Amino acid sequence: MIELYAITDDPTPPDPPLRAVRSDGMAVLYAPAERRAVTAEALWHHEHVVEELMAGRELLPVRYGTFVADPSAAAEALAGRRDELAASLDRVRGAVELAVRAEIREPEEADSTESGRDYMSAKAGRMAKADLVHDRLSPLAREHVLRPGPELLRAAYLVDRAAVEHFVSLVRRLQESHPELDLLCTGPWPPYSFAGEAQ
Amino acid sequence: MRDKILAAPSELDPFSPDRTRLDNALTRRVNADPDSVERGLAQLVLTIVELLRQIMERQALRRIDGGTLSEDQVERLGRTFMELDKRLEELREEFGLTEEDLNLDLGPLGRLL
Repeated sequence: MIELYAITDDPTPPDPPLRAVRSDGMAVLYAPAERRAVTAEALWHHEHVVEELMAGRELLPVRYGTFVADPSAAAEALAGRRDELAASLDRVRGAVELAVRAEIREPEEADSTESGRDYMSAKAGRMAKADLVHDRLSPLAREHVLRPGPELLRAAYLVDRAAVEHFVSLVRRLQESHPELDLLCTGPWPPYSFAGEAQ
Repeated sequence: MRDKILAAPSELDPFSPDRTRLDNALTRRVNADPDSVERGLAQLVLTIVELLRQIMERQALRRIDGGTLSEDQVERLGRTFMELDKRLEELREEFGLTEEDLNLDLGPLGRLL
């Protein structure tokens, strides 16, 4: 059994225990592994391995928990989707993922005597705040993904490595000019949210 | 996790559910254990219903914004969404699910928002 970590077109061999299996200019980076219990530690380990690989090469991260029987099975899977994976790799080349969450500081409304109109305008107010943050940040990103969630905004941005600092300082400035909001920006992450097929 | 924080509010509390987010991420799959299959199914169904609710809500807000609805229609829409919100919360509680449990990764469906 082997566990997959990343897909790359960089010829640099990974450090042991990681190995590469290649097919037509692309490689899957993997390590021998046993299926094990899913724990936070195991997830973070996977994340650290991918991040270290990312420091030295352009890659598509493979999501945690992807096991195949042996390297030839990995090579076969790679060969079957070669062009699609090469296109996905080009899509994220030179960029990292930054995650942004925003919440608004206000007492929970949820007043049962509230009118339908008030309810909708409170919702509209929240949406306008979310748009305000997203509309400022999205021009700095190549792509973005908005996710449903209980927060005001939960988004992932694909940002050029060179633009990360600029992006983060914009988040800080937004935070300063909007004390009613709480903005959390994390990263840089491997581009998990952008590693699939292009939309 | 701390070293991944690039910018944060002075007090991280608004995001305190994040502290358990990793555990949630790990369990964020439908539980097919026969003993809890009902809960797993409820989680999947409620996730989809919640997504639809959010999509419909956005659509409604756009229509209100467009100004083509009467006062009465806006009031009725608002009451409907308020009621839906309440019912969903009750159902969630009935199955012992948190808001975060309704964030199953629905793949391309989840990007409809």
